[in-house]
Amino acid sequence: MIHVNGDAMEWKEGLTVREVLVRRNFRFPLLIITVDGELVQPKAYETTTIPDAADVQVVHMMSGG
Amino acid sequence: MSQFVFDPTKVMDIDFTQRTQYLEGLEAIKAAHKVLKEIAFTPSLPDKGYTNRTLYVNVGTLEVKEKPVTQQMKDVFIGGRGFGLWHLWNAVKPTTRWNDPENEIIISPGPVAGITQYAGTGKSLVVSLSPQTDIPIDSNVGGYFGPLLKFSGFDALEIQGKSDRDLIVFIDGQKGIIRIEEAPEEPVDSHVLAEVLTHMYAENEADRVNISVVCTGAAAEHSLIGMLNFSWWDLRRGCIRLKQAGRGGIGTVFRNKRIRALVCRGPQVKGDLNHVADYETIAKTGVKYHKEIRENDPHQCMMRRNGTAHIVEIMDAYDLLPTHNFQYGSHPDTHKIDSQYWQSRCTQQTVDGCWYGCSMACAKGADGLEVKTGPYKGHTVTVDGPEYENAAGLGSNCGVFDPDYLLELNFYCDTYGICTITYGTLTAFVMECYQRGILNKERTGGLEMNWGNAEADLEMMHQMARGEGFGLIAGQGVKKMKEHFIKHGWGDPQLINDIGMENKGLEYSQYMSKESLAQQGGYALTNKGPQHDEAWLIFMDMVNKQIPTFEDKAEALYYFPLFRTWFGLNGFCKLPWNDVVPSDNAKQPEAHKIPEHVQNYVDIFSATTGIKIDKDELIVQSARVYNFQRIFNIRMGKGLRKDDHAPFRALGPVTTEEYLSRQERYDKQIADEMGLDPTAMSLEEKMAAHRKWRQGRYEQLTDAVYKRRGWTPNGVPTLERLKELGLDVFPEVVDVVKLHL
Amino acid sequence: MRQLRIDLSKCDAGRATCQHECESSCAEKVFKLNDPAMAALHIRELADGSGQAVLCDQCGDCVVVCPTEALSRNKLGVVVIDKKVCVGCYMCMGFCEKEIFERNPQWTEPYKCISCGICVKACPHAALEMVDVPQPPYRIL
Ligand code: SF4
Ligand code: SF4
Ligand code: SF4
Ligand code: SF4
Repeated sequence: MIHVNGDAMEWKEGLTVREVLVRRNFRFPLLIITVDGELVQPKAYETTTIPDAADVQVVHMMSGG
Repeated sequence: MSQFVFDPTKVMDIDFTQRTQYLEGLEAIKAAHKVLKEIAFTPSLPDKGYTNRTLYVNVGTLEVKEKPVTQQMKDVFIGGRGFGLWHLWNAVKPTTRWNDPENEIIISPGPVAGITQYAGTGKSLVVSLSPQTDIPIDSNVGGYFGPLLKFSGFDALEIQGKSDRDLIVFIDGQKGIIRIEEAPEEPVDSHVLAEVLTHMYAENEADRVNISVVCTGAAAEHSLIGMLNFSWWDLRRGCIRLKQAGRGGIGTVFRNKRIRALVCRGPQVKGDLNHVADYETIAKTGVKYHKEIRENDPHQCMMRRNGTAHIVEIMDAYDLLPTHNFQYGSHPDTHKIDSQYWQSRCTQQTVDGCWYGCSMACAKGADGLEVKTGPYKGHTVTVDGPEYENAAGLGSNCGVFDPDYLLELNFYCDTYGICTITYGTLTAFVMECYQRGILNKERTGGLEMNWGNAEADLEMMHQMARGEGFGLIAGQGVKKMKEHFIKHGWGDPQLINDIGMENKGLEYSQYMSKESLAQQGGYALTNKGPQHDEAWLIFMDMVNKQIPTFEDKAEALYYFPLFRTWFGLNGFCKLPWNDVVPSDNAKQPEAHKIPEHVQNYVDIFSATTGIKIDKDELIVQSARVYNFQRIFNIRMGKGLRKDDHAPFRALGPVTTEEYLSRQERYDKQIADEMGLDPTAMSLEEKMAAHRKWRQGRYEQLTDAVYKRRGWTPNGVPTLERLKELGLDVFPEVVDVVKLHL
Repeated sequence: MRQLRIDLSKCDAGRATCQHECESSCAEKVFKLNDPAMAALHIRELADGSGQAVLCDQCGDCVVVCPTEALSRNKLGVVVIDKKVCVGCYMCMGFCEKEIFERNPQWTEPYKCISCGICVKACPHAALEMVDVPQPPYRIL
């Protein structure tokens, strides 16, 4: 079990940042993602795996008109 | 994939130089002009961003005079919206209404406006007493008018009075002439009028870029929701383009004064006309920003390809796209109007900035539109590629997912001179009333206002332009429609009030605030009414959960409205602040504020005016004007707590359908947040519990925000706050506050 | 389209046998500026001793982004700037991937290589040449 922006999400071995984005349907392009406080760069979304019990923050930058 | 990829091979093959022309009658139209007044003035260029003069024109008495811009005005109000509010304050009484001759329209570009090196620096701020809200409205608009006005010699244009015949006010900044002309034969609608006037007042082809026209259209005369178009000459397309000062009905005031158009002919623009204090800093900051756009925009928002429409599918994915009058947040047909479609429909091989130097270039244009209805049926026109607000407001919120109709609605809103956001929200309200039997075919005079019926929608707009039928009623806006429907006993008053999306008389813009408490405040705890340009906090609040407590939300509702007010004091556009971010932004403290861009703004202001500020002083500058505007509202009889209430549709589910569409979320809230057992409750009980809980939270938020802003629980700025901001030097301002303490 | 090319195996990159005549001649003769750093081409020496050239290949990207049509191709296909209509927005500077444009604090208009060939003549090692190549297609930027 991990937490994504405070909400619980099921964990599996090898879960990547990209999979979290897909599962939550987070399609917005301007994101700041940290896994246990460590920043993940956009190029590493596919390759960064998330450990169990991690705290994932997907901060969406502001948008809107 | 997280985002659509731009595919140049999919761009439709449309000739962007072809369209219907309207120049045939030009000579006759011109011959009918009669000069009512002509005076000479000495053109001057700004010094460190200011020309230090305001131009006052009374279209009733034909008085034309120059007024000095005082040091105090610059210190307290900076420029732009600040100047507009100050002039308006001095012009009106608490009893003045929009259609009184003393009401003014003030256009002011702000000290930074007119530099050409940074993106989004050509804005004009327009201020007037609104026919919809009876308080000041302010609108931030592109096009070349503001910069050209300043380069002619004026920091602001103040228009007062009421004419008994149709007029054009012409400011010639090359020759030093101001002329008021009677204009009896002018075409009415903007896409024709701006084209004709650009050709009429330009002395030759090369001069067209130096002309900007402010005008409106037929519907502004018969409704309260009129808007103003600001033009510029699009060199590559060889046509005029329009940007809109949309909200609050300023176009209605304009026509009520019988002004047909304002035309400014400025000097040829060069890189240093603003005579800034430190050109090097501005040049370096500009080049750095252009590079950032080149490198990052293609994989961030793709503003250069989509404009703001890039968030249509994003809003849909997050259940935030207003659908069927803000009932739902997504729709299966959204893909028909998403950015992938618009980037193939909009012309891509041209330059789409609404002022020089805008590398963000969001003013996309859709060329080659064949108009299917109305007076321009059969014409080929260029229309703005829909901004997000238009795609959502005219589109999903009314259930219109046919992109050609959407473009046509957008075209007619623009040329008829009505606000697309307002029109979208009021039509969505009409359609929901039709769906719920509050309206029917008889009451609408035959218009079948079903969701997605674009033809009926367009016919209602044509009626508005002709001043007839149900279009006349709709053109009064949501607030007056609610009163009308209730007075006629057409439906349950509470339902009508709950679903009519307005606050202070202004229609909501196109975001769903239901599930974001902070955004509920971002809409209704505003000065002019619910427009997202004060604060857009939905992601921060609802998706990121960055601002969990009332105090956190209040802090965001303190900072962002002030930060964004500042753009309007200076003539900046808001988009370049946050629709691209520097590559290393994520590593910065307070990354969500985009610190590097904030520093760019601080540097550009300092480099323009020679007055060194920092990011905290920036907020103080805004706070002066923001609080002044609040007090202005109070002076006009609004701006207290009672005026900051929101319709329930903005706070939560009004109807059972809405509740059921998000039942899981709502039931969970009943259990987790309210400590009740949803399984033991009927649907009605659950809805009642939500209403009570949500309204209670909104009141708590209001308390927290007022406190943070230095206001009393009734929403009045305190005397201490006035002192802190230096507004206590104006006795009249203090007097207004004292009455309410 | 006339394009300036360099053969880096011939270019001395300024080590001992040349004075960067290419840059000084460009700055002085073409732009009347007494500073080789202000030239429209740059030859830099890298740490490993090899050379790096910053040359305009007349790709035309800057033409695409210029809002005033101040930038256009002349008869030879060379991208030239019309200072009379330039508004000094520097979008060309920001969008040129090769970072060719120079700015002189005295002018608000930037300037760029005009493929005139003066540098070609000035180079003592004949490292530079003018070639005629097909014009690349217009890019959407
Ligand atoms: S191109 Fe010629 S002049 Fe220029 S640095 Fe190389 S060798 Fe020297
Ligand atoms: S200056 Fe840059 S963008 Fe312009 S043609 Fe040369 S290389 Fe291309
Ligand atoms: S600086 Fe001049 S040449 Fe360069 S893009 Fe701007 S207007 Fe065009
Ligand atoms: S071709 Fe002319 S303008 Fe270009 S770098 Fe050489 S000397 Fe300078």
